[in-house]
Amino acid sequence: MKFKKLIAVAMVTVMTTAMIGCGSQAADSQAPAESAAQDTSGTAGEEITLKVFSNLPDRKNGQGLVEQTVIDNYMSENPNVKIEVEALDEEAYKTKFKAYSMEGLPDVVSIWGQPSFLDEVLDAGVLAELDESDYADYGFLSGSLDGFKKDGKLYGLPRNTDVAVFYYNAKMFKDNGWEVPATYDDLLKLAGDIKAAGIIPCAMDGGDGWPLAVYLTDVLFKLTNDKYADTATTAIQNADFSNEDIKKAVELLHEADEAGLFQNGYDSQDYGTAQNLFTNGQSAMYYMGSWDASMALNEDIDEEIRNNIRVFTMPVIDGGAAKATDITAWNGGGYAVSASSANLEEAKKFLNYLYLPENLSKIGWENGVGMSAQDETAFMTGNETEVQKQLVDLIGKATNVSGTTINDRGSAAFKTSIESQIQSVSNGSTNVENFLSAISEACK
Amino acid sequence: MHKLYSNRKVIFSLILPGMLLFVFAILFPIILSAYYGFTDYSGMGKVTFVGFDNYVAIIKDSVFWRAMENSLLLAIGFICIQHPLAIITAAVLDKLGGRAEGFFRCVYFIPNVISVAVIAYLWKFIYNPDFGLLNNVLRFFGKEADINWLSQDYAIWSVLVVLIWHGFGWGMLIYYTGIKNIDPTLYEAAAIDGADQKNTFLRITLPLMKPVIQINVTMAIISALKQMETVYLLTAGGPGDRTQFVANYLYQQAFKAFRYGYGNAIGVVFIIICLFVTVVTNNIFKEKEV
Repeated sequence: MKFKKLIAVAMVTVMTTAMIGCGSQAADSQAPAESAAQDTSGTAGEEITLKVFSNLPDRKNGQGLVEQTVIDNYMSENPNVKIEVEALDEEAYKTKFKAYSMEGLPDVVSIWGQPSFLDEVLDAGVLAELDESDYADYGFLSGSLDGFKKDGKLYGLPRNTDVAVFYYNAKMFKDNGWEVPATYDDLLKLAGDIKAAGIIPCAMDGGDGWPLAVYLTDVLFKLTNDKYADTATTAIQNADFSNEDIKKAVELLHEADEAGLFQNGYDSQDYGTAQNLFTNGQSAMYYMGSWDASMALNEDIDEEIRNNIRVFTMPVIDGGAAKATDITAWNGGGYAVSASSANLEEAKKFLNYLYLPENLSKIGWENGVGMSAQDETAFMTGNETEVQKQLVDLIGKATNVSGTTINDRGSAAFKTSIESQIQSVSNGSTNVENFLSAISEACK
Repeated sequence: MHKLYSNRKVIFSLILPGMLLFVFAILFPIILSAYYGFTDYSGMGKVTFVGFDNYVAIIKDSVFWRAMENSLLLAIGFICIQHPLAIITAAVLDKLGGRAEGFFRCVYFIPNVISVAVIAYLWKFIYNPDFGLLNNVLRFFGKEADINWLSQDYAIWSVLVVLIWHGFGWGMLIYYTGIKNIDPTLYEAAAIDGADQKNTFLRITLPLMKPVIQINVTMAIISALKQMETVYLLTAGGPGDRTQFVANYLYQQAFKAFRYGYGNAIGVVFIIICLFVTVVTNNIFKEKEV
């Protein structure tokens, strides 16, 4: 009997504690709502915590450093605002983004202005609409906001202008008497010459799938030029990849493999391995986006190599519609504000601060992290690396740009399919028809 | 005390935490998974009921069947290579005695205490065709080796080697513990009767290890079916889905392709297959016992 009483007392104690806990939780949960109400009213000095969810986990180098620098500057200029950053690499980021979208996104998030990512996100209505007129003086390059719009409304802002390039070791080229290729045939011939010298011609991150898809886009764009967007989008929408130019582009990708352009095992090697082959001097070229231009400022890379990094774009293809100055470039990553943000006004204020030309764009330029989606000409000092100058020149002289790469033009299911199947067609394990048929299935 | 344990309320209060954990952490997610398996949910936005469409799509999905084939291949590898080796190693270790026994027991178990991420990257380097250890060893013996061990032709076998090697320590340790629990007087009696090492192993050790083998084999099959981390980090299912496994494919579809409903349908099929395999394995061992 005594024991029963003891249990009863214990139960009451547990229940009371739990209720007190619930009570305090309820009080806590009311707090953000109250503070949000005060925040949105714009009360100066009110403590605000903004949560930034970023896909840049390296906060000490490259774009992560640029983002963190702007965040730190914002906090020092607005002492009442505390910004908490949660950063994950791209794949983990996208997974958690989906989980967050069910319970409410953090205040400011990284996004990609491409159908493969943004279509589902905008359909779910989790991003806040932005006022395009706010950004009239921000110097965004023409057309760079298009990927972040739906039904004429703007939901995000682009961070970069990405250009697909071949990085090459200029000293190695000079010492061996190799020339930058003028045509695709020259490129394949060059691959043979470099291989004969016992050097890997071009390092390729084929394990991830998407760099091969960018290469495919690059070739397709050189074949089709003005018709690229229409060709790729129509094929995806109709789930029909029988277009001759698409077939030809896939064949040319496989020809590059057969000519030994890429390193042995490229189809299973990752980003870091490919980049290391180039930065260690084991490969003469490295195919990647312009964001890797920061290699030229990376002191971990041997000085002789980093000072000799140069770029060229995909050479013209015999019978192709594009000129040398028609380049594969797109506006990919960017930022948006959560529609469910409790601090919506402050989040938008921070987003606008982030994109002030002297912030992301200028600091990014000074750190050599590729090309911004905003006009950077005002920040040029003449002390830029040769790669930076070349990239500015490439974009400045571009007669046409491709826009979104083929893998990002369809649904996420299409993207997953093409990025996992492309290695097989590139290395010849599957033929062109089977590859095109497999990616058609993913569009249905 | 006995009276207390007979009290229904006390019994209920004792099993309640376990029941709640089971309901909310296992049963409820499975039911939810079954529900989403009948929808075209992308993980965000609205949910539309699509009936058995996802299951029909699974039947037609060649990548899913490739993944299934790889999982079964791994299960066969576990049963036919890893476990016979593990049981023989355990028996040899048992006879070794002294410091050597403890030393080798630790050595064989080391791969299991190293993080999966480290293991995957370690093997990535071993398999690298240019500077990898494996090709360099072959070159040392005069072979002209520039084999791409993770290519379409070799990748699945290379992955199987890693998985069999990595899981070997666990299997060996469980068998070793089982062998240690066998009554030594049986071995003494066999020795008096003139039984040699081979007969002792086949007629005493193996029959008495049957329950341990049953558990180990069931666990091996389930672990082959749910293989994810090592494959994800080593090849991510590539090149060209050649090393795709069911759990990795499920993750890819649900979280990368935004096909949450389809991913859940794969999950449901996966649970059914796991249950089926467990029942079949148990029946096989039961029949042998009769």
